[in-house]
Amino acid sequence: MRCATLLSATAVALTVSWGGAAMAEQRECRAAPELLDLGHTLDVARAAVTERKELRVVAMGSSSTQGYGASNPRFAYPVVLKDRLEKLLPGVAVHVFNKGIGGQDAEEETARMKEDVGPEKAQLVIWQVGTNSAIRRTPLDKFRDRLRAGIDIGRKLGAEFILMNLQYVPAVVALPDEEEYARVMAEVAREKGTGLFQRFEIMRAWYNDGMPYAQFVTSDGLHLNDFGQKCIGRLLSEAIVKTIRP
Amino acid sequence: MQGMSAAGPSTRDIRLDLFRGLALWFIFIDHIPTNVVSWLTVRYYGFSDATEIFVFISGYTAVIAYSRMMARQGWPMAAARIGRRVWQLYVAHIMLFAFFVAQIAWVSIARDTPALIEEMELMGLGENPYRALLETVLLKFRPVNLDVLPLYIVVLASFAFMLPVVVRWPRGTVAASFVLYAAALHFDLNLPGYPDGKVWFFNPLAWQFVFYLGAAAAVLGPRLAVLDRFKTPLTAAAVAYLGFSAVIATSWRYNALAELIPSWIGRVIYPIDKTNIDVLRVAHFLAIAYLVRLAVPASARFLRWRILEPIRRCGEHSLQIFCLGTFLALSAQIILADYEDSIMAQVIVSLSGIATMSIAAYGASWYKGGPGREEA
Repeated sequence: MRCATLLSATAVALTVSWGGAAMAEQRECRAAPELLDLGHTLDVARAAVTERKELRVVAMGSSSTQGYGASNPRFAYPVVLKDRLEKLLPGVAVHVFNKGIGGQDAEEETARMKEDVGPEKAQLVIWQVGTNSAIRRTPLDKFRDRLRAGIDIGRKLGAEFILMNLQYVPAVVALPDEEEYARVMAEVAREKGTGLFQRFEIMRAWYNDGMPYAQFVTSDGLHLNDFGQKCIGRLLSEAIVKTIRP
Repeated sequence: MQGMSAAGPSTRDIRLDLFRGLALWFIFIDHIPTNVVSWLTVRYYGFSDATEIFVFISGYTAVIAYSRMMARQGWPMAAARIGRRVWQLYVAHIMLFAFFVAQIAWVSIARDTPALIEEMELMGLGENPYRALLETVLLKFRPVNLDVLPLYIVVLASFAFMLPVVVRWPRGTVAASFVLYAAALHFDLNLPGYPDGKVWFFNPLAWQFVFYLGAAAAVLGPRLAVLDRFKTPLTAAAVAYLGFSAVIATSWRYNALAELIPSWIGRVIYPIDKTNIDVLRVAHFLAIAYLVRLAVPASARFLRWRILEPIRRCGEHSLQIFCLGTFLALSAQIILADYEDSIMAQVIVSLSGIATMSIAAYGASWYKGGPGREEA
């Protein structure tokens, strides 16, 4: 019995001290101001906010948008985005429609762009894309074409775009050419005149500042966990509000 | 008490109770997000977690419980009893769902915080509650953390038909089960969920492989001694693999170590999928199981230590304790998210949950009149 008490006491002490060390290392959710520059003025969204006091956003994408990896749906980035935008834009009715379907890539999302954006009368589409295309090794030219096509469809419906690029996680970092996909997205954003939310660069800065993967990635090495989802949602809302209300 | 556990028609392998109880504790602890106490559970040291242990032992005990019944009373009776068990699991799941929703509603009303109600709406309960209820009954709608029982229900239902097959052809069953697993991975097959576009978090077509590995291991039993001919290489391989996965798991917490992992290794191993149970997870669990089999014979003295009795009791009443644990994990989540989230609070909440589960398990044993015999 004494041995047992000792054992459990040691276990608890170890847990608390280890966990305490890990907790103390918890880093803040932040990004350098230049990384939050969307490179676009978001005129349609600004007009909607100032004139109609309403902002309708479609969150298009795959598992990051769906919220896979979050322990609770309220931590999914589109939900956090809605909450933060409402707080930062008082008096504006913010609607965020989650159109994330896990596992889909640029091609599948382009195919449903019309039916998913049209009925919601969105002024802003946040298209989280690139990771699944990179994992599936979609040829870069094809990836570029699908992005252009998807943006054209959404624009015809009156929406503005922010492209959200890949997540910086072990499964993506290990790919030989993940930065090529990020580069293509930046090129398409410039060419088409859309916004670009540099998720890859923001998360890489977290990592380079010493934030361990475990803080923002689930154990599959691919999906964002609670912290990652919440933080991306906060930073994106910050970036949008900074653009609309400089 | 101890003399009695050897009673009954055959000796109960108390390793099963112990490790299943441990898995139930781990599942509870790991269901509390960012819980400090998770440092004590398997998933912090490698690829697999307590889910594999739970599903494997469920397959193992299913064979022990029902193969004897089939031998004595025939397959139809055994299948009917499995059907009754599946029904109990289903009722437990639906009850858990009701409690889950009720708890959120109660806290939300009591504290006047609409946030929690909003949360239920986010899950898909708000837009069309009638539809959500229908989808719940069909097991398509499963809010967070209510994913494991539906997996168990589907797999155990298949076991009613697979029982005579696995008893006669354990190796063939494993082969067939592997083919289904590989097909699910290759063709991206999963059962549909709700809201539309969602799939099962634990894909039964993939996870059934772990269950049938457990079932085949139980049928083969002593015949597994064949493995002992290759004891040295197998042990070396298992230890090396566990070491490798511990290094990878640690690299998620220390960037200096992450830098040392060559990117070709990352390209090979990631993503380590949980929904479709990645091969690396299966291998990790099998390595643990192999080493545990070597290190812990059924006669090991420590298995009967008094201090481990709470764990064994939880393992003996796995369905009740599993349901209780799921419910308690949600309570813990609400306490931590809406009252206080400190390291101390996490430790206290985890310890009280484990204490509650243990007390309930003792209660269940007392009600059954001593160490109970439980069906799988």
